[in-house]
Amino acid sequence: MWRYAFKRLLVAVPMLLGIALLTFVLMRISPGNYLDTVRMDPQFSKETIARYEQLYQLDKPLFYQYVQWVKNLLRLELGYSFYYNVPVYKIIGERIWNTFVLSLAAFLLTWCVAIPLGIWAALNRNRFADRAIQFFSCIALSLPSFFLGMILLFWASQTGMLPLGGMHSPDYESFGWPGRLVDLLKHLAIPAVALSIGSIAALQRIMRGNMLEVLGQKYILTAHAKGLSQRRVVYHHALRNAINPLITLLGYEFSSLLSGAALIEIICGWPGLGSLMLTAVRSKDVYLVMASMMMGGVLFIIGNLLADIALAKADPRIRYD
Amino acid sequence: MTRKSFSLKTVFPLLLSVSFLLPIFYSSASACAAQYGGQLILATTSDPKSFNEITAKETSTSLVTDLIFEGLTTTNAFTTKVEPNLAKSWDISEDGLIWTFHLREDVRWNDGQPFTADDVVFTFNKLIYNPDIPSSARDIFTIDDKTFTVEKVDDHTVRFVLPVKFAPFLRGMGQAILPKHKLEEIVAQGRFNFTWGIDTDPKEIVGTGPFNLVRYDPGQRLVFERNPYYWKKSIEGGPLPYLEKIIYLIVQSTDVGLLKFMEGTLDGYALRGMDYPMIKPLEKKGNFTVYDLGPDMGSQFLFFNQNPGKNPNSGEYFVAPYKLAWFTDREFRKAVAHAIDKQKIIEIVNNKLGYPQSSTMGSAAGFFYNPDVAEYDYDLDKAKTILREAGFVDRDGDGVIEGPRGGRVEFSLYTNAGSTDRVDIASIIRQDLERLGMKVNFRALEFNTLVSQLTSSFQWEAVILGLTGGIEPHFGKNVWMSSGQLHMWYPMQEKPATDWEKRIDEIFTQGVQELDENKRKVLYDEYQRIVAEELPIIYTVLSARLYAVRDKFGNLKPTSYGGVFHNPEELYIKEESR
Repeated sequence: MWRYAFKRLLVAVPMLLGIALLTFVLMRISPGNYLDTVRMDPQFSKETIARYEQLYQLDKPLFYQYVQWVKNLLRLELGYSFYYNVPVYKIIGERIWNTFVLSLAAFLLTWCVAIPLGIWAALNRNRFADRAIQFFSCIALSLPSFFLGMILLFWASQTGMLPLGGMHSPDYESFGWPGRLVDLLKHLAIPAVALSIGSIAALQRIMRGNMLEVLGQKYILTAHAKGLSQRRVVYHHALRNAINPLITLLGYEFSSLLSGAALIEIICGWPGLGSLMLTAVRSKDVYLVMASMMMGGVLFIIGNLLADIALAKADPRIRYD
Repeated sequence: MTRKSFSLKTVFPLLLSVSFLLPIFYSSASACAAQYGGQLILATTSDPKSFNEITAKETSTSLVTDLIFEGLTTTNAFTTKVEPNLAKSWDISEDGLIWTFHLREDVRWNDGQPFTADDVVFTFNKLIYNPDIPSSARDIFTIDDKTFTVEKVDDHTVRFVLPVKFAPFLRGMGQAILPKHKLEEIVAQGRFNFTWGIDTDPKEIVGTGPFNLVRYDPGQRLVFERNPYYWKKSIEGGPLPYLEKIIYLIVQSTDVGLLKFMEGTLDGYALRGMDYPMIKPLEKKGNFTVYDLGPDMGSQFLFFNQNPGKNPNSGEYFVAPYKLAWFTDREFRKAVAHAIDKQKIIEIVNNKLGYPQSSTMGSAAGFFYNPDVAEYDYDLDKAKTILREAGFVDRDGDGVIEGPRGGRVEFSLYTNAGSTDRVDIASIIRQDLERLGMKVNFRALEFNTLVSQLTSSFQWEAVILGLTGGIEPHFGKNVWMSSGQLHMWYPMQEKPATDWEKRIDEIFTQGVQELDENKRKVLYDEYQRIVAEELPIIYTVLSARLYAVRDKFGNLKPTSYGGVFHNPEELYIKEESR
C-alpha cells in the first residue's frame, strides 16, 4: 500500500511539470502579453515599455523563461507576479486559505445534507417525501449558482439578516474569538449555500440511486431474513456498499476545492483565488496563473490518491500490491 | 497625482453639465463649524496592484497613492488652473528654461521627518531618471531624449533647468514626491522596483498627503487614517483633515457595490447609466443625492486602418490596397461619420445619460476644448450622396456598393469583447453602415488579441476602441504625432503620410514650447479642427459621470474635474448626521 502511494507521488512530479509547461505554452502562444494594457496608454513611450519587458524578462526566448521558472521552482520559488510586482506566494498564500475555508464549508454542507437526504429518499422511494425531494432537486440542479448567489444577496439586502458579501465585518478586529467565529459563519452562509445547493441535489440523487441498487440485492434480503433490525440492515450492510462509488467522487471533490468557487467568490466579494485568477489570466500574469495551476494539480493528485486509499480501506476486495 | 490629473479627471464642466447638476455652491462659512472625527466608507472594484507610485501602471494604485503622496503643484478642481501645493511659489527665468521652486517649510512626512529640497532632488534624479526603474513619469519629463537638471539650492529651494521650453511643465510638477530618508538605501541596493508592493507593512509607506495607509486586507479593505503631521490648515486655522478614517471596501461586483450602497454601508457610489432610473427615485428615502458631474473623459471611437505597409516577413499588405484606397479617402470616412447615430447610442448604451462628442479633446477638457469644429449630423441620405459622388455605387445590383475602382465594400469591424458598451455601439453603427450598402463583418475580440493586431501585426480593417483623455493636449502626443506608437490608423510613420498629419506634428512641436496659454490654445484649436475635418478617428459619445453620495458630509463640493471626493482633507461629517 505505502509503496503504491510512494510510486504515485513520484509519477506526480513529471505530471506537475507537464501541467506547468502546458499552462506556460498556452499562455504565451495566445496573442499579446502582460504589457498590452500599458501599450494602449498614451502616457507610456516605447522605451519605457521596452524597459518593463527587460525587467520582467519578457524579451528573452520562451524556452529560457520556462527553464528559469523551473529552476526557481526547485528552490521552491514560484516566481514574481508582473501585475503586483511581488513574489507570487505572497499574493496567493492568504487567498488560498480563504478559498479553502469557503470550499470546505460548502463541501461539508453538501455531504452532511446530501448523504442523509439520499438515504432517506431511497428508503421512502416513490412516496411523497421522495417525490418532493426529486422535484426540488431538478430545480436546484438547473439553477446556476451565481444566480442563486445574487438572489440570496438581494434577499439579504432587503431583510438585513446576513451581511452583504465579504469575509469579515469592518470591526472584526475588536471581537473575541467566539465573536469572530460567528462573524465568519454569518459571512459564509450565503456563498456556501449558493455553492452547495446544486451539489446537494446531484449528490443526493447519486446516493439515492446507489442505495436503491444495494437495497435490491440478495444479501440485504438475507440480512432481513436473519432478523436484523431495519436500522442495522440499512446502516451496517447497505450503506457501506452503497457509499463506495461516492468515495471516488470525494477525491475529485477534494481536487476542485480551490477552483470550484470562482464565480461565487466574485459575486459575494469573498477574497479568495477566484477573482485573483480571473484577472491574472486576462492580464496574462503568467507566473501567478502557473502557481495556481500547480496548486490545483497538487490537490488533484493528492485527492485522487486519498480517494484510492480510502477505497481500499472501505472495500476489502480492493488491493493495490 | 500626476496620473490622476492628466488622464483620469474631467474638467470644467459646470457650464456644460445638465439641469440636474446639483448644489455645488456650498460654502463652508454658511455651514456650522466643522467637526473632527468620523469616517468615510467607499468601494473600489479592484485591489491595488502596488503602493509604489513611480513604477505603478494603473489607476487602482493611484486611488491609494493620491491620498498619501503630494506634488509641488496641484490642479485646482474648480478652475483646473495649476496651484501651489508643496511649493509655495516659483520663479521663471526670462527664457523660460530655469524654474526655481520655493518649498513650504512647515511640511513633514507622516513619520515626523521634515520635508526638504533633498526629497525633491532624490525623487527626480534617483527615481524618475534612474535608467533601471521603468516609469511613465520619465516619459513626461524627458524631451527629445534630454532630461531636466534638478538641483538643490538650499533646504527649501529647488532649481529645475529644462533643455527646451516645456509648456506642460508646471502641471507636470503635480508629480508625487517620495521620501529620501525611507528609500535612499533601497535604491542604492537596486531593490526599488520591488519595493512598496502590496505586501509592504503600511507603516513603511511614508508620504506628505492628508491620510496614511494603516491597513490593507487583500480582497477586503483598505483603511486610511488622518495624517497628524498634515500641513494644510482649515479656514479657522485648525489642523486638517477632519475625518478620522477613510475606508475603501473592495467589492468585486458592481451590482453588489450598489446593494451595499442602498443598504447604507457605503457613503458614496459611482453609478452606471443603467443604475440611474432605479437609484434616483430613492434619494429622499435613502438620504443621499445623485450628482451628475458632466461628460466623462474616456472617449469611444471608430477608426480605419490607413497603413500602406507590408508585413516584412510574408510581403503581404496589412490592408488590401483596394480597401486602403477607401479608408484613406476622406469622403468615405465623412459618409461613415454621417451614419453614426449618436442619439441612439446615448439612448441605448448610456441609458439617455450621455453626450455626443465631435471634438477630439472632449468637452470635459475645459480650457483647451474647441467646440467650434466640423460636426456630422446623423443623415443617411447625405451619407449616401457623399458616397455616390465619391464613386461608391452599387453597380452590379447585389445590394452592396462597390468602390470607385471596383471591389465590394466589405470589411471587418473589431472591438474588445470585455466592453459591452463598445459591442453595443458596434452593432448600432454596423446596422447603419449596412443601410448605406456596406457589408460589415463584426467580431468582438479578446483585448490582448486586439492590442496585438493594433500594435504589432497591423492586420485589421476597422476598430472601435476607447482611450482616456486629459486636460493637457500635449500628453496625447503618442496618439496624434505621426511618429507615435499609438497613432493607431498608421503608427510610427517615418515622415508624415499626409499634409494634415504633418501640420498636426508641427502644432504639437510648437505647442509644447509655447508658454503663453492663449497662444497655445490657438494652436490646439487648429489641431481639433483638423481632426474633425479629416476624421482619422470618428468619435461617438461620452458617458455621463454619476455619483451618489449620502447627505452627511460638510464641505462636499463636487466638480467635474475633481469628482466628488477631490478634497478629502476638508470633508467633515455634519452634526445632525452623527
